[in-house]
Amino acid sequence: MARAPRTQYLAVFLLLAVLTALEVGVVYLPGIAKSPMVLALVGLALAKASLVGLFFMHLRHETRALKLTVAVPLMTPGLYALVLVAEAGWRLLP
Amino acid sequence: MVEVTPESASRGPVIWPRDPEFGSASAGKIGMWIFLISDALSFAGLLIAYGILRGGSAVWRHPGEPALGINFTAGLTFLLICSSVTMVLAYAAATEGRRRQAAAWLALTALGGILFLTGQYHEYFGIWHPGLSREGLVFGQSAYASTFYVITSFHGAHVFSGTVYILVTLAQWLRGRTDAAHVELLGLFWHFVDLIWILVFTFVYLIP
Repeated sequence: MARAPRTQYLAVFLLLAVLTALEVGVVYLPGIAKSPMVLALVGLALAKASLVGLFFMHLRHETRALKLTVAVPLMTPGLYALVLVAEAGWRLLP
Repeated sequence: MVEVTPESASRGPVIWPRDPEFGSASAGKIGMWIFLISDALSFAGLLIAYGILRGGSAVWRHPGEPALGINFTAGLTFLLICSSVTMVLAYAAATEGRRRQAAAWLALTALGGILFLTGQYHEYFGIWHPGLSREGLVFGQSAYASTFYVITSFHGAHVFSGTVYILVTLAQWLRGRTDAAHVELLGLFWHFVDLIWILVFTFVYLIP
């Protein structure tokens, strides 16, 4: 059964709290354009979700087979979302 | 518990043989992961539908509809992160056989869930000031309102069921009827609820 040291759990907690504060900070950043803001917010959210999955859900300590069992299905909606964004961008082309 | 054989497989609880490809992961843990993947795909469907509706609408938030409260929801996000930490600490105590400490961390995690649900109720209906429903965000009136209520209440249903799951496990833990392996499965579900909220918070509340 996988378990990490308590100090690691607390370090991840602090990192998650800092990233959440950064997210709110990005939203209130004066003069920031929409595209970099969206990119920053999505990047921060994916970083936070990865921290929870890897450290709190112990995926980091699991076997390659279990990691792939989890990661591959979860990539499909991400891929679909990317196709939709690309398609929307293509429609905006003159 | 008996070893699984064709004869015993239909007679209730069995020790399912471990698959070496999955290391020390039990059948219960693999089953929980598969359930969480299917649940994640449900949320993915909702978030993609949200993106399509939002991307295809000329006006997303109509005049008279309130903006979503970022600061308050950031507080709820922090609350869920805190409850994830108390859950891993409960698991750590459970694996070390510190039963009272594990019970205390589980109780704190359940409290986090209850506070989150109270916060969500306040956001919808208002406790100390009018909620979004009284400020003009009415379900069915616009895609903005409907997607907000569907996605956040679907997540709220997960927080509710997770809190009930914690309280049931806590009761069993106090009676000595469960072990650290079950606390780990409970933790997987609770962290999943936190992980999904991280994405909902970004896509529904933060992205302008």
